[in-house]
Amino acid sequence: MELVVRLAGVAGQGVQSLGEILARSVFRSGLFIHGELSYHSRIRGGENAFTLRISDRPIYATRKDADLLVVLTPEMWRVYRDRLRAGAWVVSEEAAGAKGERVLQIPALRLAREKLNFPLAMGVILLGAAGRLLGLNKERVQQGIREVFGEKSQPNLLALEMGWELAPSCEWELPLARFSPGEWMLLTGGQAVGAGAIAAGCRFLAAYPMTPGTPVMEFLAQRAERYGLVVEQAEDEIAAINMALGAAYAGARAMVTTSGGGFALMVEGLSLAGMIETPVVIHIGQRPGPATGLPTRTSQENLLFALYAGHGEFPRYLCAPTTPESAFYLTVKAFENAEAFQVPSIVLTDQFLVDCYVTVPALDLSRISVHDHLLSPEELEKIPSYERFALTPSGISPRAVPGASRHLVLVDSDEHDPYGRITEDLSIRRAMVEKRLRKEEALRQVTSLPEVFPSENLRGRVALVGWGSTFGALREAVEALNAKQDRYAHVHFSELWPLRWEEVGELLRGAAEVITVEGNAWGQLGKLLRQEAGIRPAKHIARYDGRPFTPEEIVEAMTHGA
Amino acid sequence: MGPEEYLADVELAWCPGCGNFAIRRALALALSQLGLPPDKVVLVTGIGQAAKIVHYMRVNGFDGLHGRTIAAAAGIKMANPNLTVIAESGDGDIYGEGGNHLLHNIRRNLDLTVLVHDNRVYGLTKGQASPTAPLGYQTRAQPFGVLTRPLNPLALAISLGAGFVGQTFSGEVEQTAELIVQAVRYRGFALVNILHPCPSWNRVQTFAWYKERLWNLADSDHDPTDRLAALSLLISAEEKGDRIPVGVLVNTPPVPTWEERHPVLRQGPLVGRPLPTAAALKPLLDEFI
Ligand SMILES: Cc1ncc(C[n+]2csc(CCOP(=O)(O)OP(=O)(O)O)c2C)c(N)n1
Repeated sequence: MELVVRLAGVAGQGVQSLGEILARSVFRSGLFIHGELSYHSRIRGGENAFTLRISDRPIYATRKDADLLVVLTPEMWRVYRDRLRAGAWVVSEEAAGAKGERVLQIPALRLAREKLNFPLAMGVILLGAAGRLLGLNKERVQQGIREVFGEKSQPNLLALEMGWELAPSCEWELPLARFSPGEWMLLTGGQAVGAGAIAAGCRFLAAYPMTPGTPVMEFLAQRAERYGLVVEQAEDEIAAINMALGAAYAGARAMVTTSGGGFALMVEGLSLAGMIETPVVIHIGQRPGPATGLPTRTSQENLLFALYAGHGEFPRYLCAPTTPESAFYLTVKAFENAEAFQVPSIVLTDQFLVDCYVTVPALDLSRISVHDHLLSPEELEKIPSYERFALTPSGISPRAVPGASRHLVLVDSDEHDPYGRITEDLSIRRAMVEKRLRKEEALRQVTSLPEVFPSENLRGRVALVGWGSTFGALREAVEALNAKQDRYAHVHFSELWPLRWEEVGELLRGAAEVITVEGNAWGQLGKLLRQEAGIRPAKHIARYDGRPFTPEEIVEAMTHGA
Repeated sequence: MGPEEYLADVELAWCPGCGNFAIRRALALALSQLGLPPDKVVLVTGIGQAAKIVHYMRVNGFDGLHGRTIAAAAGIKMANPNLTVIAESGDGDIYGEGGNHLLHNIRRNLDLTVLVHDNRVYGLTKGQASPTAPLGYQTRAQPFGVLTRPLNPLALAISLGAGFVGQTFSGEVEQTAELIVQAVRYRGFALVNILHPCPSWNRVQTFAWYKERLWNLADSDHDPTDRLAALSLLISAEEKGDRIPVGVLVNTPPVPTWEERHPVLRQGPLVGRPLPTAAALKPLLDEFI
């Protein structure tokens, strides 16, 4: 069972809020959803669409065509009229001018103005009609309205009632609840990164606003007081990363959040993190570039940038969450790896993942382990002298923070001796390079190899290989392809560096053919596979128009190519 | 603790006759007068000849990137306001590469002390003009002389509302130490511009050149609580060009600092807070049900 509802309007009409209300109402009914937000980079006007997939099984991808389209403007009718499934319904604001057999025209703006004296409620009137058609439980929608609009709920509740009355009847019957409250959760990727940070003991975030990095900053800012964090808007991204490193040096778990352009400004600071072996977590929400690119769209163009950014050679941890669930656990892991190995960790997401609402298995705190990796006051008391960069077999030096004991802590962006003092002694230089790089070997042992579907054995199968947020679309595409002919596999990376690449090579050499599917033109994972694992992908299915992959488009690309 | 105890016993890589030696002595003297335990002080520097001072002292140190000195210092102070944080670097670092951090951290008003070694050149990169080099100042990189007006860092800081602003000359060790003491004690953002000769690269603003022009504000009737008077004094000194004021330009009654305004930091430093427990995280996850 699947239903796709699309709400389309212009910025300023509250499409995101309407989408959230709808998503919550369906989720509360015990059904699985995936809600995708797509918008233009402006505050008024432009496209603003929310595509909600409803299903009786978990889903992690969006769809191109809808069963129910709610349009608020003529422009949106033009854009989306061709993206309807057979038998689709349209709920249209009268002025949007939608026409056709199953079109319900409602003078929502006029009603909102005349009856409610509140033109903004126009969308909720349409939502009411749509909710009735969908067969939603009205109380759940009312609850959603209260949660999203808070004090401004009253006129919106009236608007809901008006719309509800205007719909002819229930067109659809939603299935019974598939889960009980608490078993599954509803959250966006951005919220998941933020929640992961709090769960990992993050105490400090500095950021300069940049879509789609900002939702993480705002999520944490709003919870700063409750969970004891400092969230500061820095004067620029260069300041953000240097402030975070200062805070981390002082002993607070620290993070920054940005997009490709802001990360470009942070790169010197990333290298500093590598040199002073100070943990920091960098969240990069990708959007299409180069330069400012498409500010509110999605992309996977920064894999190689995130991996190779920074002058000099130093280890880093790089992960690319696949779903909000994975974003939560991997953000926790990014913090833990940063602390344990004293390296920068990069969490690479994208606009699609950051903004989409997804039903995920209830986040489980017993699945995470967060530890203190600093020298304890007792340990510090015992040691006669302290060297911040002591040479050790693992390359990891016991870490103290300033002010915690009588020992002084010195870090230096110049090459330094074990104490931290600037040096140009070339034998120390060699020892320090080797020490830093040794940490990468230890880190490699705790990163996970790609997930393989349907089974580890790829023999005779065409492997579709992806990373990050394309997970859901790829999985569904492979399932659909296998339903016709069972010869496909899905290989998906969510941790990308450092990896045990020989094992990746062994795995993929078993496949009949390797095809990469990525939200970029170059096939960046493909390049990495060639370079690190000696695997030559036969083909690259690329998407670089700023939209997320849908399962059907991957299937189409596969069948056309065949 | 005596001043020597703040000095690290290492080889100093400064040129003979450099003003940095005296600034180092003044800093040690100031720390000693303040009676600060070395482990409660963090000296944050950037990159440059001046910035090397962190390696020559016996306190905690963060030697970060060129230009990012104040940004790193701000992060340290936000994480642990109990530490005494001193950001110290060259005029190129703080006024050039790091200008934006200076502007906005004056606005933030954390309890930070910023000490700038102002030799009007980029020492470490061999003598190019810094933002405080005068018009017409010639270097290998500026063969036509500097065409851009010099920055007046003191007027800038005062106009942005810095609560404590002073200037000294490295040759006056006692006065420099005294000013550093006052700046560190000041509760809020404090800037001390320390003029110093660079015998290797600056052949114009020499020790003698400064000695002829220094004008000690202690000998004047300047009132450091009067910001407008300080600005007018600086502008007229700049216009006349014959006297360089040294001493306290501005010392206004402290206003609440950033960390004092912050509801989370009012509960204590971020550092040392326990990792979150499952019970503490329950309401967070409940948001998603
Ligand atoms: C990002 C960056 N740009 C340039 C440099 C090169 N650099 C090192 S120190 C310096 C200027 C030094 O001048 P100043 O800060 O005034 O200190 P001084 O050496 O005069 O004490 C420059 C340009 C650098 N290290 N990093």
